[in-house]
Amino acid sequence: MITNHLKLLVGGVQLRDGVVTVTDVLGRILTRAGLYVLAMERGYASTIYGAHQYDPMVIAEQPPVSWGDPALDILVALDYDSNPDASQQPNRDTVLRHGSHLKDGGVLVYDSSTGEIPTEALERRGIKVFPLPARNIARDELKLDVVKNMVAVGALFRLLEFDRDVTLLRKLVEERFMRKGQKVVDTNLQAARRGREVVETVLKARGWTGTDYHLEPRPVTEPRLLISGNEALSIGAIQGGCRYYAGYPITPASAILEFLEEHLPKYGGRAMQGQNERESIRAALGAAVAGVRAMVGTSGPGLSLKVEEFGVSGMAEVPIVIVDTQRAGPSTGMPTKSEQADLSLVVFGGHGEIPRIVLAPATQEECYTMMIDAHNIADKYQCPVFFLTDLNLSEGRKVVPEAVFTQTAVRVDRGTLVREEDLRRDGAYKRFALTPSGISPRLVPGTLGGIFKVTGSEHDERGFVSTDPATRKAMMEKRARKMETYLREDAKPPQVFGTPDRKPVLVGWGSTRPVLLDAQQRLRALKIEAAVVHFTHLWPFPTDVAKAVLGRASVIIAVEQNFSGQFADVIQSQSLLPVRRIVKYNGLPIYASDVVGGVEQILQDGITHVRVGTEAPAPVRVSEGD
Amino acid sequence: MSEPNVTKSNGQSTVRAAQKPSAKLWDENATPRHRIQWCPGCGDFGVLAALKMALTKQEVTPANLLMVGGIGCSGQIRNYLNGNAFHGTHGGALAYALGAKMSRPDLTVIALAGDGDTFAIGVENFVHVCRRDPGVMLVIMDNGVYGLTKGQHSPTHGRGMDIKEWSEESPPPFSPLRLALTAGATFVAQSFSGDPKHASEIYVQALQHKGFAMVNDFSPCVTYNKFNTYDWYREHGEDVSASHDPANLDAAWELLNDFDRRGRLPLGVVYRHPRAKKAVNRLPLWPEELQGADVRPLLQLFR
Repeated sequence: MITNHLKLLVGGVQLRDGVVTVTDVLGRILTRAGLYVLAMERGYASTIYGAHQYDPMVIAEQPPVSWGDPALDILVALDYDSNPDASQQPNRDTVLRHGSHLKDGGVLVYDSSTGEIPTEALERRGIKVFPLPARNIARDELKLDVVKNMVAVGALFRLLEFDRDVTLLRKLVEERFMRKGQKVVDTNLQAARRGREVVETVLKARGWTGTDYHLEPRPVTEPRLLISGNEALSIGAIQGGCRYYAGYPITPASAILEFLEEHLPKYGGRAMQGQNERESIRAALGAAVAGVRAMVGTSGPGLSLKVEEFGVSGMAEVPIVIVDTQRAGPSTGMPTKSEQADLSLVVFGGHGEIPRIVLAPATQEECYTMMIDAHNIADKYQCPVFFLTDLNLSEGRKVVPEAVFTQTAVRVDRGTLVREEDLRRDGAYKRFALTPSGISPRLVPGTLGGIFKVTGSEHDERGFVSTDPATRKAMMEKRARKMETYLREDAKPPQVFGTPDRKPVLVGWGSTRPVLLDAQQRLRALKIEAAVVHFTHLWPFPTDVAKAVLGRASVIIAVEQNFSGQFADVIQSQSLLPVRRIVKYNGLPIYASDVVGGVEQILQDGITHVRVGTEAPAPVRVSEGD
Repeated sequence: MSEPNVTKSNGQSTVRAAQKPSAKLWDENATPRHRIQWCPGCGDFGVLAALKMALTKQEVTPANLLMVGGIGCSGQIRNYLNGNAFHGTHGGALAYALGAKMSRPDLTVIALAGDGDTFAIGVENFVHVCRRDPGVMLVIMDNGVYGLTKGQHSPTHGRGMDIKEWSEESPPPFSPLRLALTAGATFVAQSFSGDPKHASEIYVQALQHKGFAMVNDFSPCVTYNKFNTYDWYREHGEDVSASHDPANLDAAWELLNDFDRRGRLPLGVVYRHPRAKKAVNRLPLWPEELQGADVRPLLQLFR
C-alpha cells in the first residue's frame, strides 16, 4: 500500500472532456487536505477543440523534489469517443498515448460509455482497470453532460479511499456552483456518488479489496496556495509596485495579461491589451518615461517583435521589466510546448550594445520574490530587465505556503529618482550625468526645477543628441559601468548544492533546478556523486564567482531545454571552461531520468553532447481487430 | 520660393506679440536657435513657432510638458523648445505617448512626427490611437518625403501631381484626414506651417480637446519636395468655412469630398466630437504610494 505518493495523469479531448476541471478540483481539494501537489507539465495543443490534452500531477506528503519521470501510477482517460485527432481510436486515445508509462500494478480508469477497450496487455502487468461509463451516467441518468468530470472525480476518490464522507468535495462544489443553485450542487454531488458506486461494483466483481494507492489528509499547519508561475509573478509585480502592464495575447503569457487586467486597477494601476507586440512595449516605455513602474509580458514570437525597443530602453535608460514565458520556437514553433531557447535573444538580441539584466526564477516562489527584485533592479540600473520563465513554470501549478507571499520583506526602491527638493539643492539637472557607478539621477516629468531630454540617439549629459567622439566614449562607458555596479551590488551568485571539487557538476538555469536536484539524488543511488550549480541571475554573467565554483569540477555538464546549449555557450565564452551539454528540445519537460541517463553517457563515453528524448514513447500493446 | 510666414506679412505681429512675454521660457533647456539643424526655410520652423504660441496660450509649463518626437527632421523639434522630451524608435511616437498619457493624465503629452513616421512605419499605432483616444495632441509635419534620408517618397507623396499611371512602387498619396476619420479619431484638423498664426489657433483647439487630437500640418520640405512648395500650398489650401459644423461626422466627410472635387486642401478643424470617457487618475509612482500593497485578497483566490 502506497500512501500519499503517486503520479497521476488525466487525459482526454481538449475542451470537450474537461481534463483541467478534473485536475483543478483534485488539486484544490488535495491542497486543502494538507497534501502537496505538483502539476508542472501541461499537455495541450494550440487549438481550442479536438486535440489530445493531458495534465499530469504529482501528489505527495512532502513537497516533491521534481515532477520525476514519465512513469505513472494512475491514468484517467476521459475520452468517451473518437478524438478528431485520431479518429480510428474511439475512446482509446489517452490509453494508447500514455498506457505504456503506467507502472506495473498501477491503475487505469477510462470512460467506457462507447464500449470497453482491450486492456489484456495492461492487466497482464498487474494494472487494475476500471471501466467507467461517466459520459453515459452524466448524459442519460443525470441529464447534465458536463458533470461527467465529477463522475470521474468521485471514482478517483473512491479508489484512493479519500474524502469518504465527502466533506471536502461538498465544500468545493458548493463554493463553485451554489450561485447556480442547489440543484446544480446536488447534481454534481450525485455524479461523484455514481462514480464511487461504479468503482465499488468493479472492485466487487473482480474480487479486489482496493488499489495499491491511498491518499490520507495531513494536518494543515499553515495556509497553502495552489498557484502557477504566471499568477505568482503577477502578484509579485503588484507587490513590487508595477502599476502599468501591457501585453498582446500570446501563449503562455496571456494569463498574466488577464490577471493584471482584472486586478491591477484595484491597486490604482492599469493593464492594457496592446494592438500588437510593439504597441505593448512602447506604451509601457512611455509609462516608464512618465515615471510609472511598467512591465510587459510575452513569449518568443512577441519578444522577437520587441527587440528594437530593448535598445531604446538600454540607450535612453528607461527602466522596464520584460517577462518572457518561453515556449518552443523558432517562428511559431510549438506554442504549447516548453523550451529554454530565448536566452541568446535576451542576452545578445538587438543592434548595438546595451546594458541589460537577465533573471530566471526556478520556482513559483521565486516568480514572486524575484519579480519584486526585478522592478527594484530595473529602477536602479535604468535598463531592460528580462524575466525568463517557460511554459512549464508559467502555467504549471504547485502548492506553495501562503507565508511566501505574506512574510517576504518587500521594499519598493525607486533608485535615483530625484524630487523637487533635490533639484533645488543640486542646481542644473543632468539626466545622463556621468557618475562613478554609471547610474544617473532620474526625473519624473512634472517635477519643478528639472527638465529632461531623453533619446535613443547618442546624447550628452543633458540628453541632447551628440556624435562627439569623446561624449560617445564617455556615455558608452557610463552605461557599461552600470553592469559592473550591478555585479558588485545586486547580482546573486549561483546556488551550489553539494561540493563541486573534482566531481561532475550539473549546471542549470531557470525552471530545471528541481529536476537537477532530483537527478542528483538518483545519481547518488547509483554511486555517482555530482554537485548542482544553479543560476537565477544569468546576465551580466558573474564570471569570477562562476569560475571559482565551476573551475573545481571534474566535468561541467549544462542541462538545458534547447538544441545548442545556449547557457553552456555563455559559460564557456565568459569563463573559458569547457562545458558539456545534456539538451532536450522535443517539447516534453526534462525528466530526472533524462539527466541521469545523460550523465551516465557522458561519464562512460566521454561524449560532449547528449540529446535526450529522441525515441518516441512506445504505444501500449493492445490486441487489434476490435 | 517663399520663406515661411513667421517673419513676413500680417502673421508677423501676432507671432511676435504671442512669443514675446515667454520667448525666454521656451528657449531655455533647448538647442540654441542658431544651432537648429533644419534647412533654411524648412516648414518645421513654422510649426515650432506655432507650437510655442499655442503652448503659451494654454499656459502649459515646460515641466508639465512631455513631447514625444518621431524619427526624422521633424522629430528634432522636441529639442528646439523647453520641456521634457522623449525620442525612441521610428513609428513609435504615438504608442509611447499613449502609455505616458494613460499613466500621467496630469501631463500635457504631445507627439511630434513626420508623415513617414506616422503613416508608413507607424500607421499601426496611428490607427489604434485614433480608436483609443488618449488625451494626446499629434502634429504631423507632412512634407511628402523622407527628408532626413534624402528625399524618398512617403505615403503622402504625389499630392496634387498630375500623374497618369501609378505603380506598386509608386502608388498615389493617401489622405491622412480620411484615415483618421475612418479609424474613429475624435479631433481631425489640418494646418499649414506657412501660416503659423492660423496653425497655432488649431493647435490651441487640439490642446483643449479631451481626447486624441490629430493635426496634419503641411510643412514644406524646401530641399527634397520641389512640387508641394509654400506657394503650391498657398494656392491649394483653403480655410474651412465658419459655417462648417465640425461635430457632424457626415458634414466632415462631405467637406473632404467637396474639397477633393475642387482640388483644394482644407485648413482648419474638420471634425471634433469628444467621446464620453472614463475618468482616470495619475497612476501611483512614488515609493510611499507603492510600499505595502496588500495582496492578501488576491491570495484568497488560490486557497
